[in-house]
Amino acid sequence: MSCKTTFVASTALALLLAIPALAEDRPAALIISQSGLGDQSYNDLAYAGFERATGETGIEGRTVESKEVVAQADEILRRASDAGFGLILDLEFAHGEPIAAVAKDYPDINYVILNQEVPGDNIASVVFREQEGSYLAGVLAAQMTTLAGVEGINEQPVLGVIGGTKSAGIDKFIAGFIEGAKSVDPAVDVKVAYSNSFADPAIGMQMANAMFDEGADIVYHIAGGTGIGVIEAAKERGHFAIGVDTDQDGLAPGHVLTSMIKRGDVAVERIVKDYAADAFPRGQTISLGLAEDGVGLSEMEHTRDIIPAEVLARVDAARAGILDGSIKVWDVLSQGTPDYMK
Amino acid sequence: MKYLQSALTILFPVAIVLVIGAAVLLAAGYNPLTVYSDLMTEAFGGQRRIAASLSAATPLIFTGLAAAVAFRVGVFTVGAEGSLYVGALMAAWLGFTLTGLNGWLLAPLCLLAGAAAGMVWMLPPGLMKARLGIDEIVTTLMLNFIAIGLTTWLVNGPLLAPGAANSSTPQVAEAARLTRLMPPSTLTTGFLIALALLVTYAVWQRRRIGGYETLVGGLAPRFARAAGIDMPGLMLRMLLVSGAIAGLGGAIQVLGPIGRFVAGFSTGYGFTGIAVAILARGNPLGILIGAVLFGGLSTAGATIQLFSDVPIEIVNILQGLIMIFAVADFGLRGWFARRTARQTAAEGGQP
Repeated sequence: MSCKTTFVASTALALLLAIPALAEDRPAALIISQSGLGDQSYNDLAYAGFERATGETGIEGRTVESKEVVAQADEILRRASDAGFGLILDLEFAHGEPIAAVAKDYPDINYVILNQEVPGDNIASVVFREQEGSYLAGVLAAQMTTLAGVEGINEQPVLGVIGGTKSAGIDKFIAGFIEGAKSVDPAVDVKVAYSNSFADPAIGMQMANAMFDEGADIVYHIAGGTGIGVIEAAKERGHFAIGVDTDQDGLAPGHVLTSMIKRGDVAVERIVKDYAADAFPRGQTISLGLAEDGVGLSEMEHTRDIIPAEVLARVDAARAGILDGSIKVWDVLSQGTPDYMK
Repeated sequence: MKYLQSALTILFPVAIVLVIGAAVLLAAGYNPLTVYSDLMTEAFGGQRRIAASLSAATPLIFTGLAAAVAFRVGVFTVGAEGSLYVGALMAAWLGFTLTGLNGWLLAPLCLLAGAAAGMVWMLPPGLMKARLGIDEIVTTLMLNFIAIGLTTWLVNGPLLAPGAANSSTPQVAEAARLTRLMPPSTLTTGFLIALALLVTYAVWQRRRIGGYETLVGGLAPRFARAAGIDMPGLMLRMLLVSGAIAGLGGAIQVLGPIGRFVAGFSTGYGFTGIAVAILARGNPLGILIGAVLFGGLSTAGATIQLFSDVPIEIVNILQGLIMIFAVADFGLRGWFARRTARQTAAEGGQP
């Protein structure tokens, strides 16, 4: 009854004010990146957010997946633009320039690109402050690495981090991790290595084993599928890995200390809902960090019992510090590579 | 009769695939007729869709031709993929380095360099085959892994675009980009180059001595050797030509639709090219048809998802089925031969 009343009232109001259409109802398209759905990471996460948002708002949603997504960038974007879609979200990193070019030709369609800033009136860019979550992982790891009495932990203050490739996008995780670790113990030694592959678990395993041999007991990976090998190595050797992107704690329960989760789903969900409410952030760059729940540590379901309360308290303190601005974490994208990584 | 025969050898496997595909679609709960008609619309319904399909077909024409020229002389190379990668990276590197050159110079230079890189890549397996008789399937296959590994390493390190989160080079200079034939479609002059190569190949295989030599060499190597044809030299030359064509295809992909080298940009163009060449039985027109078929399927497979719930896996299954049936001969050739023989016999025994 009340629902009906509201409906009548709002309809009357809309008619009175002669507002054309309050909400956006054109369908939305999600373009999946090269690694495809089923990657248990970036694409799947974004897709989950897309499904949630389209389900709740009633906006019709379509996903486009293609092995040739890189080569067919223009064709896919233009086809979707011609076909009456009002919102096109693109997860493929190589679509930066194509989306800028296509968006110019379709001023009344809204475009979204992730992990990079693309200028354009009808484009929204979503970037994550991964350095903030990585900082917390560093604070946690640096405290744990010398903790006596925990199985799999040695007395040496040595940590490891394995990046998929030497690039600004990956170094921003690494710099944050190192800063967080050094904030606990300036003498901690963080070994950094790059696997040059995001899809080679065997390499990840070898590199993690090499780090364990050098005295590391916790290794953070930012290497996609290669990182699965890092987690496997931690399980075999009885040490610890730190997961990335999704909650990877369950991949080797008890041997993944925590995961630095990047909430691509939150980002996608929020944008689709904004779009449905006719509040699409046109031309804006949305930066998601700890404050926006865009990044953060996992629940540590399987490791919580071995992590002392005071260690967690210090992680929470660091989190609070970042939130209130008293801790500023280095951002490789805007500040360049810090000296300690050169 | 001859045209009918080559048309049938291409269309027969496709027809079988459509029937099997229909069964798969039915089993998965889709109406095959709707899916097929949607695929047709997305692949060839209208100017823009045709342009998109031809654009997707372009790399496959190169790799199909690269495979065909080598197969003709009996060299079963699977190395087009590797040549494609090194050619692409070479073109990208020159394209973003020599930014001072103008378009008339830069684009052809990048294309030539891409072809040269692809050709040089086939030199070791070519020499090993010609001089030592080492099996080319193994060497070219292994070189593919090396090419992919090498280029990936280069774009992860020395050639990585500053600030990029994925493995790719910076964009090539605007001057290096190929002209779009029907803007905004990504169909570029690269497609015309592909057509020109096909025509050259058609003329060469029928009218030139090399075309005859390779034909004889491929069908009867021992006879060819006895007739004084330098078989090792011929094999080496054809493998180099094959590498050059594939390298050119890679360069065109970089200067055309993509605009930079991205690790993993090829979805196995080199291997699809083998299927195209076999499907076409080395016939130039067949290579064009085969490439357009796979290209159309690829574009349609992507954009059909905007309008229906057909998952990309279904399209991948269709593509895989065509590849499998492309290789089967179905005895059509034998059937044609018997029929022709019967006819000539009926017409008075004069061949």
